[in-house]
Amino acid sequence: MANKHRHSHGDVPVVPDALSAEEAASLAFASDKTLTKHHFTEGEHPIVRIEHLNKSFDDTKVLRDVNLDVWPGEVVVVLGPSGSGKSTMLRCINLLETPTAGHILIEDQEITGQSKTDVNKLRREVGMVFQSFNLFPHLTAKQNVMIGQTKVLKRSKDADFKPPQLSGGQQQRVAIARAVAMHPNVLLFDEPTSALDPELVRGVLDVIRDLAENSGMTMIVVTHEMDFAREVADRVVFMEDGVVVEQGVPEKVFDHPENARTAEFLGSIG
Amino acid sequence: MSHMHENAMTRGESHHTRRVPALALALSAVLVLVATLALLPVSALAMTTNKATARPNEDGGSGVIGAMDTRLTWEGTVGDDEEVSSITLSLPEGATFDHASTRITVLDGLNRTSIDGTATSSGNSVDVQFSEGIPAGSLVRLEITNMQFPADGGDYVVSGSYTTADGQSHALDDSAAISVIANTPLQAAVSWLDAQPWVAAWNSNPFLGMFFKPQLLLTSFASLFPGWLVCLGIVLVCYPFAIVLGLAFAMLKTSRHKVLRAIAICYINLLRGTPLFLQIYIMFFGLPMVGINIDNNVLGVIVMAVNSSAYLAEIFRAGIQSIPQGQYEAAASLGMNGFQTMTSIILPQTVRRVIPTVTSDFITSYKDTSLLSSVGVMELMMFSKNLTTTTGNITPYMAAAIYYLIVTLPLIKVVGIIENNIARSERGGGPRPKRRAVAGASQESEEAKEELATSAEVSHTEEAKPATDVFAALSAPFVSHPTVDLGGVADGE
Repeated sequence: MANKHRHSHGDVPVVPDALSAEEAASLAFASDKTLTKHHFTEGEHPIVRIEHLNKSFDDTKVLRDVNLDVWPGEVVVVLGPSGSGKSTMLRCINLLETPTAGHILIEDQEITGQSKTDVNKLRREVGMVFQSFNLFPHLTAKQNVMIGQTKVLKRSKDADFKPPQLSGGQQQRVAIARAVAMHPNVLLFDEPTSALDPELVRGVLDVIRDLAENSGMTMIVVTHEMDFAREVADRVVFMEDGVVVEQGVPEKVFDHPENARTAEFLGSIG
Repeated sequence: MSHMHENAMTRGESHHTRRVPALALALSAVLVLVATLALLPVSALAMTTNKATARPNEDGGSGVIGAMDTRLTWEGTVGDDEEVSSITLSLPEGATFDHASTRITVLDGLNRTSIDGTATSSGNSVDVQFSEGIPAGSLVRLEITNMQFPADGGDYVVSGSYTTADGQSHALDDSAAISVIANTPLQAAVSWLDAQPWVAAWNSNPFLGMFFKPQLLLTSFASLFPGWLVCLGIVLVCYPFAIVLGLAFAMLKTSRHKVLRAIAICYINLLRGTPLFLQIYIMFFGLPMVGINIDNNVLGVIVMAVNSSAYLAEIFRAGIQSIPQGQYEAAASLGMNGFQTMTSIILPQTVRRVIPTVTSDFITSYKDTSLLSSVGVMELMMFSKNLTTTTGNITPYMAAAIYYLIVTLPLIKVVGIIENNIARSERGGGPRPKRRAVAGASQESEEAKEELATSAEVSHTEEAKPATDVFAALSAPFVSHPTVDLGGVADGE
């Protein structure tokens, strides 16, 4: 990879242009068909394409040439030690972070680089559930769920409790409902249970599992819950130091990791 | 007439007897007569009424109040060829000369002639019999102390009659009207206080009498009231403008554009970095110099609004920046644009957070209206300053202090209550959602509920598994109804 000095703050890697939709789809199918439990259909294209994604904060490279394709309805669980770039990758997908270089395509539409993406429209299609819930504390649970609909989708409809009155588990479930209420095509979960007390984790994971099994929604989940990943994921992606180290179906990654770092991480967690 | 004279006279009651050497009297009488005749080429034929005035008896004011002791001064000139032996003065019904004492002054030209007399009061008239005839051309002054005008108030003329040495009675000309203020309940209360021994005892203490004179406290409340209204008016009118301006500059200061930020920083720092007093002087004296004349009260509102807006801008900016980044991200992740994020997520939370600080700033602004007194705005401070100047007593300032406190103390209390409420709600105060009861859970004690709730939630979601309606599963713990109507959501796709 060639580097070219452009700005005073860090080097911007030069990456190839995004592939054409057909080319990308066939390459992705070829590489992913053994890595996921996803049931491929004829002529299917990945719903999320990440090509050569790079992200730096000042001089710190957080993502280094990440490539990942996510198929419609697939549940991808991203594992990895903290600081490995999992959350940053997730935040790049709905442009809460602007990639330094590389391409992200949602339904074959590029959202990065020079593309004139309507960010607000994109975010309506890519829901996000945050580690710290980020509920709106001045609104009730019901209002939190409905605000996206009323303010953004202009549909007017109206639990009568405000977030501080709810437990963390309840808050996170409201936050999930808030994201789901927008009917996104892709739902991103950024460590949804990390801020919860252990006894509340189960309830939230049950909701996510319920969504994964019954909604048919495409989901990318960053989590440390190994049992959950094993049960729910169609594919597990292991990241470290800003790169995808290993990916595959849960049984493969958990029981027979190919990479030493993956094995070490899973061993330390388990 | 000085106070000393009057006091001396009051002690003398209605009988005055003054013995002056007869020789000197005669000599001066002749001299005065000659001088008067020489000085008055045209002489009046009958006694004329020169003037009638009443001494102000309004505490700290210049009005004459009815049904309160005052001093009536009447002056007339004896006509040529006449010698006056008695004068009767009368006022309309309601006035009283009972308990009054009368002082007689006779000026023959420039010389004072001492003439005794006997004053007899009967209700609304007083009859003065002179011990000797008052010579023609003399000026007669009657000062009648401790008389009262009618309680009703209005314009009153002094009428009356006089008798000459030969026993003939003539009517006197009516005097010019004396304006009398009606005796209000307030005046009645002051009069009542005047008569109370404990008030006298209270006032005899130098501190209490100077700072908290009851009578003056009462009258101060009444006369400071318009000033208080002006204060309230200025701050109430200026504050909405200050809030709008402040919000605008808070937005500019948090803007992404350098120039806009610079404008906001200059505005805020200049106004916060200079005294309000100076800003008032610059505006009130500067604008007229360049030909801009704005009504004092309006200019007062403008100066106060501009000054407050700088402080409010900083309060709002701090409030907006205290909202966690996660709130912006959550709003963004729902597809809200900047305006929607601001109006429906950030500002509503900001408002809650800044209410206590804004209220404190309101209190400051309200108090700072007092600075406007220095440039002639007729507000509370101005009124109390004037009243203190005329009465020489500090009590009006104390009344002003009470007027300020009437507003500020409740607001300070309100700030405290709001702060407590916010703290309480951020700790999660208030009712908690009722968890859906599972078998056996409904009879559990409050303590046990919390623990059970988790398992209840879990079992609920597991039971709900076959349901394809994800919303119902998600929202169930928070609504009283078993299901949420989400038809609109699904249909609207």
